[in-house]
Amino acid sequence: MLNNQRTRPRAAAGAALALSLACVLTSCAAPGAETGGVEQSEEAPGFLAVADESLTGEGALTVQLDYDTSEADGLDPQTAQTARSWMIMGLVYETLVTTDENFEIQPALATSWEQPDDTTYVFTIDTAATFSNGRPLTVDDVVGSLERQMASMSVWSGQMGPVESIEATGDDQVTVTLSSPYAPFLAALANTPAAILPMQEVNDGSVDLTTTMLGTGPYLVSDHRQDESWTFMANPDWRGGDDLAVQTLELQIVDQESTRQAALREGSTGMANFVNIDSLSQLGGNEGLRVVNQTQSDLYYVFVNSQKPDSPLNDQDVRFAINTAIDRQAIADIVFAGETSPTGITPSNLPGACLVDELPSEQATIEDAKAVIEESGAGDAALDLVVYTSEPVMAQIAQLVQQQLAEIGVTVEIEQFDTATYNERVFTAQPGEFDLSIGWFAGYTDPSMVTKWWNPEQAFFNVGFTGVHEDLNALIAEGASESDPSARAEVLTELCASADEYSEIVPLVHRPSIIGFDTAAVSPTIQSNEGYGDILRNIVDYRIAGE
Amino acid sequence: MLQILRWSAGRVVSALITLLGVSVLIFVAIRLMPGGYEDIVLGPLASAEEREMLAEAYGLNQPIFVQYFAWIGQVLTGELGTSYVTQTSVSGEMLARIPVTAMLTIMAMAVTLLIGVPLGIWTGVRSGAKRGGALGRVVSSIGISVPEFVLGSIVIFLFSQFSLGLKVGGFASIGTGFWPTFQALLLPALVLSVFCVAATARTTRDAVMGVLVEPHITAAVARGETAWHIVRHHVVRNAGIPILTLLGTITAYLLGGAVIIETLFNLPGLGSFMVTGLGRRDFAVVQATVLFAAAVFVTLSLVLDLITSALDPRVAVTGKAGS
Repeated sequence: MLNNQRTRPRAAAGAALALSLACVLTSCAAPGAETGGVEQSEEAPGFLAVADESLTGEGALTVQLDYDTSEADGLDPQTAQTARSWMIMGLVYETLVTTDENFEIQPALATSWEQPDDTTYVFTIDTAATFSNGRPLTVDDVVGSLERQMASMSVWSGQMGPVESIEATGDDQVTVTLSSPYAPFLAALANTPAAILPMQEVNDGSVDLTTTMLGTGPYLVSDHRQDESWTFMANPDWRGGDDLAVQTLELQIVDQESTRQAALREGSTGMANFVNIDSLSQLGGNEGLRVVNQTQSDLYYVFVNSQKPDSPLNDQDVRFAINTAIDRQAIADIVFAGETSPTGITPSNLPGACLVDELPSEQATIEDAKAVIEESGAGDAALDLVVYTSEPVMAQIAQLVQQQLAEIGVTVEIEQFDTATYNERVFTAQPGEFDLSIGWFAGYTDPSMVTKWWNPEQAFFNVGFTGVHEDLNALIAEGASESDPSARAEVLTELCASADEYSEIVPLVHRPSIIGFDTAAVSPTIQSNEGYGDILRNIVDYRIAGE
Repeated sequence: MLQILRWSAGRVVSALITLLGVSVLIFVAIRLMPGGYEDIVLGPLASAEEREMLAEAYGLNQPIFVQYFAWIGQVLTGELGTSYVTQTSVSGEMLARIPVTAMLTIMAMAVTLLIGVPLGIWTGVRSGAKRGGALGRVVSSIGISVPEFVLGSIVIFLFSQFSLGLKVGGFASIGTGFWPTFQALLLPALVLSVFCVAATARTTRDAVMGVLVEPHITAAVARGETAWHIVRHHVVRNAGIPILTLLGTITAYLLGGAVIIETLFNLPGLGSFMVTGLGRRDFAVVQATVLFAAAVFVTLSLVLDLITSALDPRVAVTGKAGS
């Protein structure tokens, strides 16, 4: 709960009323509505659902997803940029390490690792692993894969940190040396872009990674039609065993949320994902269906463009006043029916994250904000607030932000665009062609992996709407290099406060991920928290009814 | 006869000019849209250099007329280009999807003709009767005024609760056999046909009412011909031309409506292919699908015009159907 200074029942009621009218037209939940019939609880610590081990059947599972991803470089996992690609490619490829339900690093292709000093990591490789063409994994594949990633200059090579050298130091040992300590290194290794590739085949040209997926993972691609479906078959040579319950996995791409709901109700699919929080209530009451709300570290934000010439938003005080007026808890309560929670720039479900209530904008009062707007004259002109249409909840957040800013005298006009237009106006145009915009970031599994988006010299996509702040950049670097947890938490708290005061990227709330499944079709294991958008992370543990 | 042939040749030439105009229009229109392929496929994290490289790779940085002539040159040789996203032949992708859209529109057209025409004849014949006329007006008014996406959403919700053996959330893969495909397409086809049934019923009704006041109908009544005989031999034949003309418009409507219905019901047809291509700024896909739809419509209109002129030669002479 926010402090009392920010409690504005009348405004909240007004916003709720306005949203309810909008929601009648957009089929979202009534503001503040109970989610109805769905009690979110963990089946085991860290898990929303745990597969029933007594089920011993094998068979096919159909999963409907909201979209496919297209990759400019094809199916190469090292250049994949979206969570959906990571999840799909993660069925075929494996990484050295992985993350568990507590965001802690666990073994994968590396059975163990040591860290003799702050900058050296020695991995013991599982040489029993084989690629799906039958060739055993070697340390050369590991070295070659990591070197290829670092040379790719992709977004993920930036996430890997200051890697100085990667060497094979034994038949089953690889040593990575960093030029300086970097706390998120193992977390970066735990995602699909750091996958271990069949480098022997890549180097001799017998495998083209842009068109073929050849990994050590539990599944093989059997068929793919872009934007329609993927079919995977269980890899009989997978080192994890040949008793996968889901022997055939079909991922169907179904754009419409209502159609995915219908398919789940009528049994056309065993599992489906949803973005609209109302799916909890709309599906929760159906017999035989279970629907869970997985907490992603992903977060919604408002960009406040400080780079547009002659904009009142060039004034930091005005931006901070806007930040102050935005009530994160109200967004969580009204737009998401209380099914998500506010966050600062470090996703609040990650270890060491800063506390939202301690942010300077949360401590300031609406009266302060109103005075700044009045004094600056920033309320004289209307600001545009741009959102994209493919995720309808964006417009709902925008309506609430519009109401909240009206309270301090800022007029906002909402403009909705398709994704291509949005991307051009927000990310491609220099400076960005907008005043305010709403979007979301992937939150990953280490706070420092997302804090670098606040540094436009590292995250060049935001140079059109954010300024360079040396003090903030220093804190971002310090947060990434500090390995002592308590010292790091202090840095991150300071970092959150600094970014909050600059108010160019204002984090709002976590982006929920709703997963529904037919209990007659599948008994899945689903983690309560997820950092890389992998809703099928535990698929090898799934169980299917039957003998 | 020579006049009819000359008129027919003129219609063919005007059809080709129409298609050329459509090709220019769609090519320019899609490029006037804000946001490019690179904004979608590379996403926000890409640098300006990466965007430029991608635009260059696909020739998107060339002057628009250079791009147009390159494309239309391909089209004239029967090559519709390569999808930016899938890197596969657009014509191949379209061939895989055309059966779904074709079946959907044919089923919708069948429903339209089987319900719309008899309903129009019935309400036209009974136009003097209070109950029949009022019922016809109510049914056609509702059918015309309810948008497809609203009706479709209601149908999806209802049939996901009570499926009655019909699918609303599955694929209509042709390879799975007739019955599964029929099951998947029946509801979308019914939703798609509602507007057309109403429009056809109304047009047929008006045409029937127009014929019924003709002197030869009065003469037929005076001769003592039965009502059924009059309808079959005099009314339907004479009301046929406006109905035939309407079929061209209905086809265009069905092709347009298929875009919404396929997206709503998740059918892998041409309509959903075009919508996805548009969202991704996959220009090759959008150009090819729109041009194909235009070609179907123009060709069908041409064929209907030729049939009409054969039925009533005055069309070729005066440009108007006779009564």
